[in-house]
Amino acid sequence: MNKNGKSILGNSWIELILRLFLGIVFVYASWHKILDPAQFAKVLYGYDLLPAVLINLVSIILPFLELFAGFALILGIYPRSAALIVNTLLLAFIIALSVNLVRGHEFDCGCFSFGEPGYTSPIAQMLLGEIICFVIGLYVLFFDRPRRWCVLQSGGILKNISHSPNKLVSSHYRLLGRE
Amino acid sequence: MRYKDIGRELVILLGAALIAAFTVNHFSPKGIALVGQWVESQGVITAKAKDDIVLESLEIEDVKIAKQIYDTGKAIFVDARPRESYEDGHIKGAVSFPVWQFDEYIDGFRDQFTTADTIVTYCSGRTCDDSHRLAQLLFEEGYTNVVVFIDGYPGWDAEGYPIE
Repeated sequence: MNKNGKSILGNSWIELILRLFLGIVFVYASWHKILDPAQFAKVLYGYDLLPAVLINLVSIILPFLELFAGFALILGIYPRSAALIVNTLLLAFIIALSVNLVRGHEFDCGCFSFGEPGYTSPIAQMLLGEIICFVIGLYVLFFDRPRRWCVLQSGGILKNISHSPNKLVSSHYRLLGRE
Repeated sequence: MRYKDIGRELVILLGAALIAAFTVNHFSPKGIALVGQWVESQGVITAKAKDDIVLESLEIEDVKIAKQIYDTGKAIFVDARPRESYEDGHIKGAVSFPVWQFDEYIDGFRDQFTTADTIVTYCSGRTCDDSHRLAQLLFEEGYTNVVVFIDGYPGWDAEGYPIE
């Protein structure tokens, strides 16, 4: 990898911005689902992918996974694991959307706001948004340098940094992060 | 070591989310049951929320029974869908009462019908609960004789019953 590419991939400011963005997107997306779980359950019913017995449980749990993973990303609490949760959810959304795109099933996405009754968003557009978020999630997931503004950081998915051999560097980053 | 750490982090994050999810759902006035009613052959679909408006006991599940009630000529069929849907087609003789504009329509409705009249509400089938919503609002207005025809306009139309 050339030096330029490495500096983009390892830039802790870029990581911070992407992580905050992803966190805010997820907290925002969770909010109206938490306020109206019955409506969200109806949207899930519309997806026509889950067995009837699971619709309510998913409606109860999923918005809080989004909320907690989102806040964990924003505050920097185990960001790699939060990114893992976020990417798992995004992968599930991408598969769900793709299946319904292929079979021509129209429904309210339930992602950012509930539309008017009968309103549907273009699936392809929603899919694009999910894929962009997924790529951002991968960046956050694999980032293995000290992160900025983190309450509890532990490294990237491939590398722990909590026990970094180079204490000088990590403490330097930590200081920077808390300025 | 790394996977163990990630596993521990996931347990903490997921555990906190799960506890919060079920706690909030338990205490929230908008909380839902752990299992909902999502089988259309068993009635109008519903998450069975605490503030749910779907009351199974009001439901007429058989189109033919709805037709029998209709044929007595004594029941008022009330269309809870938006005005445009009503104008596109409705059960013959039905009254339009878009439930999302309740305040605009209720005075006119009260002038026309007494609280003792037999009222059959409907909307666009078993995935829609507007007919149930309207029934509840009419009960609050003092109407006592309200039932919900759950197959709604599409179910009626499919049987070839009178529309206009």
